[in-house]
Amino acid sequence: MTLVMKAMLLLNSLEGFFFGSGKAHVVTGVALMILAGLALSLWRMDRRLTQLEKASREDNH
Amino acid sequence: MKGAWNWTWKAGSILLLGYVILRGFGTPLQPGLVTATPSQLRIGTDTIVLAAAGQPFASEDDAPADFHVVLRAGDQLLQTETVEVTPHSVRLSVDVPATLPARALDAFVFTPAAGTLFLGNACFVEEAAKGDIPAAVRADAPEERAPQLGFSFPYQPNIIESIRNLLWHVPMWFAMFFIMGLGFVASLAQLRTDSADWDMRAEAAVKTGLVFGLLGLATGSLWARWTWGAWWVSDPQLNGALVTVLLYSGYLILRAAMGDDDRVGRLAAVYNVFAFIMLVVLLMVLPRYTESLHPGKDGNPGFNSYDLDNSLRAVFYPAVIGWGALCYWMYTLRLRMNRHAYRLLSR
Amino acid sequence: MASARHTLRTAGTIAGLEWQLEWRQGHQLAAVGLFAIASVYVAFQASDHNTSAAGWTAMLWLVHLFSGFTAIGRLFDRERTDVRRYLQWTAEPLGLMLGKLFHAVLTTTALTAVVLGAFVLFLGWPQEVDTPGKPGLLVLGAWMGGLSMTTTLVFVSAVASQIRAGGSALAAVLGLPLLLPQLILATRLTRGALADEPWTMLVEYPVFLGALGAGTSAIACILFPYIWRA
Repeated sequence: MTLVMKAMLLLNSLEGFFFGSGKAHVVTGVALMILAGLALSLWRMDRRLTQLEKASREDNH
Repeated sequence: MKGAWNWTWKAGSILLLGYVILRGFGTPLQPGLVTATPSQLRIGTDTIVLAAAGQPFASEDDAPADFHVVLRAGDQLLQTETVEVTPHSVRLSVDVPATLPARALDAFVFTPAAGTLFLGNACFVEEAAKGDIPAAVRADAPEERAPQLGFSFPYQPNIIESIRNLLWHVPMWFAMFFIMGLGFVASLAQLRTDSADWDMRAEAAVKTGLVFGLLGLATGSLWARWTWGAWWVSDPQLNGALVTVLLYSGYLILRAAMGDDDRVGRLAAVYNVFAFIMLVVLLMVLPRYTESLHPGKDGNPGFNSYDLDNSLRAVFYPAVIGWGALCYWMYTLRLRMNRHAYRLLSR
Repeated sequence: MASARHTLRTAGTIAGLEWQLEWRQGHQLAAVGLFAIASVYVAFQASDHNTSAAGWTAMLWLVHLFSGFTAIGRLFDRERTDVRRYLQWTAEPLGLMLGKLFHAVLTTTALTAVVLGAFVLFLGWPQEVDTPGKPGLLVLGAWMGGLSMTTTLVFVSAVASQIRAGGSALAAVLGLPLLLPQLILATRLTRGALADEPWTMLVEYPVFLGALGAGTSAIACILFPYIWRA
């Protein structure tokens, strides 16, 4: 992730306020973590539902 | 194969949102002027400091002479001398004349690499009499140089860095609209056919939409606190949004109150149809006809509320797709849960 | 699909039925009137002739709103059960709705008169206002606001009447969010009329109120048959 950041900063020859203080990194990190957590829980719910649906279909046959 | 597409769009939406987060928070902001100190000027020589936010528009070893600042009163320009330039500010000295076409002065900073920065109504001269600027201190417009800022977000006064919220707040409302629209169609179908499946779709849609509506309100409130100074203002768009959330909460309360009554479906569908029509009226029709603080109003429904820079567009459109797809995923999960519960209960 | 004349005849019959019920169960309307006047009296005691235009408007609309709830909330629940069942099978739904709406309009008009009159009587005008700037607009605002709320309330009451348990309490819960837009418009209008704001600023409010009221009654009429079918 830091590589991506460095690459983007190099593209802009000037640095920002936001980055100088490091806040941007924290915010991005937190946001990505929340997204990952959300994605994980949704995926697990999805898998569970698929299993349940399969089980109930098998019961019916 | 169906299974593969299934995982593709779901994983794709997550990846898209990851890209939005990275780019949305990783892109620097273009520079823009925020304040002028002092803002009240007296006649005679005075020194002003213009402070900027966003990316630096100068580096430590730039010569002040490269930066031209003019002050505009009415349609005439007043010349200034740039004394000092730091990455985020410009200090200039100006000889304020006794006559000016207007009392309010706008400031223009012409930079070599960051384009032209503008601050409207930067300074006021109370004592000036109305008249033309004397020729001795009048200036011509300096040459404007194209900005070389790379991929960066546009600067908007008051909003500054919080423009990144555009990637959260707006797509969330779009997603809510989209899913509530789905629910509306489901309710209409439910009234036509009286089938339980359409009813389940409507309920799933409302539940998911409500989550996004609440998130939209929360992101909007945070944004309002930063830009307007208050967590909430009485504004048609905001009132409409709150009423919408309350309406759909009422829908869920109605369903809860009816419990297992078999008329739940029809009654809930009727209420949903009513609620959606109110939503369209409140959020799309009314705000167009009344004045509003909300960005994008005065006629515009808010799609192109900002001068959507190409850089912003590159992140905004993916955000809309990403959040929309995520909303739809949550909706399908809720729908499948409803169906499964229904299957279990009706065995 | 019944003919228009049949619908109107049904509406007339229902309106007449409601009127009769009003007389026979006179205590219901009297109860609403009592509620309204008692609320105004509380407002009077709380403010003691010392209100601003904003405070006056706020209290007016609170009393008006809750009196409206009390009056209209049980509109679809007043008949005896067997009468209701008879109506469900025989009466044409649109006519039923129109009849009830008509009756609600009459009730609201009377209620507005009572509430507004009680306010003027007990509280007088707010402090900074010797006489209201635009009295006609004030009355119009109170009336149209009341009507606009009533049309929504009628719809909500119809929905709530179908809920077996605790329906009438639910009418208030469901109705309040639906009423917020009308309330915002009505309060702005009456406050402006009190403070003598210019016509150009105020003229849009009655128009919107009227449009909202007409719109909600139209939707209510369209959707009612679906609720009413047993």
